[in-house]
Amino acid sequence: MASVQKREIAPSVSVTQPARKRQRWIGYLFILPWFVSMIWFDAIPFGMNLYLGMTDYSVGPIEQANWIGLENFERMLDDDLFRQSLANTIYYIVFSVPLTLILAFSIALLLNTRIRFLGLFRTVYYIPSIIPVVAASIIFLWMFNARAGAINQILYAIGIDPIRWLTNPDYTKITLVIISLWGFGAQMIVFLAALQGIPEQLYEAVAIDGGGLRARLRHIVIPLMTPTIFFNLLVGLIASFQVFTTAYIILGPNGGPLQSGLFYMMHTYNNAFRYFEMGYASAMSFVLFLIILAFTLLMIWTSNRWVYYGDE
Amino acid sequence: MKEKLVFLGLALIVMLSPVVSPPARAQAQGPDCAGGQEVTITFMNWWGATREPLMNQVIANFNEICPNITVVNAVQSWDGREQLVATAVASNEPPNLIMTSRTETYQFAYQGLIEPIGSFVEASGIDPWSIFYESEIGNQVFDGELYTMPLPTAGGISGLYLYNKEMFRQAGLDPDDPPETWQELEAATAAMTELDAFGIAKLGANILLVNDLSSSFVYWLYTNDGQLYSDDGRTVLFNSPQGVETLEWMVNFVNEYSDGLEAVRDFMAGAPDLTTADFPLFNELLAIEFVNVSAFGHLENTDPEMWADPEMWGVALRPYNADNPNAKSAGVSGLAFSWGYTIPVNQPQETKDAAYAFLEFLATAVDGGCYFLFEQGRPSPVMACNEDPAYYDANPYWDVVLESLEIDVSVSITPVQGQINDILSRAVEEAFYGADAQTVLDRAAEEAQALLDEFWSES
Repeated sequence: MASVQKREIAPSVSVTQPARKRQRWIGYLFILPWFVSMIWFDAIPFGMNLYLGMTDYSVGPIEQANWIGLENFERMLDDDLFRQSLANTIYYIVFSVPLTLILAFSIALLLNTRIRFLGLFRTVYYIPSIIPVVAASIIFLWMFNARAGAINQILYAIGIDPIRWLTNPDYTKITLVIISLWGFGAQMIVFLAALQGIPEQLYEAVAIDGGGLRARLRHIVIPLMTPTIFFNLLVGLIASFQVFTTAYIILGPNGGPLQSGLFYMMHTYNNAFRYFEMGYASAMSFVLFLIILAFTLLMIWTSNRWVYYGDE
Repeated sequence: MKEKLVFLGLALIVMLSPVVSPPARAQAQGPDCAGGQEVTITFMNWWGATREPLMNQVIANFNEICPNITVVNAVQSWDGREQLVATAVASNEPPNLIMTSRTETYQFAYQGLIEPIGSFVEASGIDPWSIFYESEIGNQVFDGELYTMPLPTAGGISGLYLYNKEMFRQAGLDPDDPPETWQELEAATAAMTELDAFGIAKLGANILLVNDLSSSFVYWLYTNDGQLYSDDGRTVLFNSPQGVETLEWMVNFVNEYSDGLEAVRDFMAGAPDLTTADFPLFNELLAIEFVNVSAFGHLENTDPEMWADPEMWGVALRPYNADNPNAKSAGVSGLAFSWGYTIPVNQPQETKDAAYAFLEFLATAVDGGCYFLFEQGRPSPVMACNEDPAYYDANPYWDVVLESLEIDVSVSITPVQGQINDILSRAVEEAFYGADAQTVLDRAAEEAQALLDEFWSES
């Protein structure tokens, strides 16, 4: 008699009400560390900053701060250095962000090819991103020195008059933009990762259609890279609005000749820690937050028109 | 030369021996060592590099008197100093003793963050006004209360200059007759400055602190019989006719004899101070540099060969405007370089007592501040310390140094001085870029006066 194999059928998983509650509780437990740190390190400081921005807080016990409403925000309208520092920052962003993006993208394209010593090149291009900003800034300070700096010595050797990179107000910002390109490695790595995710078949399709490198770039690479370009653009923009360390080290707290390199964060820092105008500095920080938020929302809104996510 | 250096070193050790050997005090009475209880205090300061071992020695000397007080010498980096000092003093657990500039002391005193030391001084029984130069201890008084004691001197910061005698000889100038007036300084600079394709190759005199144009202007202002503020510190006076004349002279000097502000900044950018061996004054590239009294210690450490030979370097007083009959050489005290050691309020009484005990030793004791400053070749704010004949042996120009202290004028400042410095710096810089001196000074004076009025109205 043929034996009938008895099939074990797993009982259907039915999640009871208490179990579901327990699962939910475990989920909350997992996000608790992040949640606590978000409250402690982001939400509370943000709220405090907003509150302090409406006080005359200087330094010391917060109870000494007097509520002055929107006075700090009104003061910005009359503050010449507020306008100048904002203008300097926007100038920096306009040049630094796109140039860094183009450089990072270009180098990533080159490093995405099959050439010898590829690993070495990738390492070499990425290394600048992990060098401490202070050390790099001091090196650049020397390189751009008008007398002894390597840049002017090279320019002079090829017949170009030395340029006062850091002491002529017409050159300070553009010098800082050039220096900012040094840190393109982080964006390059992101681009490289995205480039390697493009399916090979798409390139083959272009080749079959008779397309060359230019067609590959225009019809395959750039469209598929738009989410990464968008990401790097957004991150670069936010970081550039907060440009501080390099400019502070190279040009000093007042931003060099005629405050030509006084950026928004430096003006905020000066008010906070050199003048002890913490209330005003807090208000400036909040305004910077609003500016960055506005730019971010604008970019997200426009991204619908140019960012391709593949599922559209 | 080697033997000469060894001999000099030995001579210095012999000279110093009475200074460093027995723990002694400028005055007989002293602190009660915080009642004898075991206390540890953190001393936050910026006396790094060659000064750190000296401070450790001072602490060791202090421990011979107060072995129950452990002083942690917390030397900090200059990077981000303002940020660090502000957050430290305002924190719930601040360092027990913090080195602060005069502006910071005033700001923290204004906010009630630091302890006035009048009661400690009274309990100790010393009389600071008879120990220190009046202007030095006066710099540490805010709103009628004494908040700290000075170290190093706030004076001797701007009243003198260091010059390279060899460059004078090369230019055919008499190295023993350095410039005494603005006009002589112009002639000397014209004779010694050389330009090349990169700008200045050799500079006769650098009359600017390239990153602090405000102080540069104020220092020259006082050699033209001008004043920063009225004596009560309530009225801005720097836009006076003397102020305008001073600024016009500075601009003309730099443009005429130094190839302009940018060239000077580029020239000085390579070697920011005397702590670097390639400082142009040590290498016959800069003839005259206006320095503070810390220069002697730096010179000794950085270029011992030059230090050892007074025929290679000299010291003279800051030149004055000979066209102004009321002008004379002068220095400014208490404006940009005036340090004290403050006791934050947020700490238990026993650490406050211990912090004061160390402060008093550091500032007044012969084997405290006197030793610490002598080792750096700089004068002390304690009058008695500077009378030590060893100073004359160690520094051939000691009489000029003391003269520079005597010609110092103490300026009144308020907690808003940091902002006023920046306002004035902007005005001075604009003048260097072609703006009218009277216009920029008037505008700066208006802004500065508004800040002062606001401060005094709230005080």
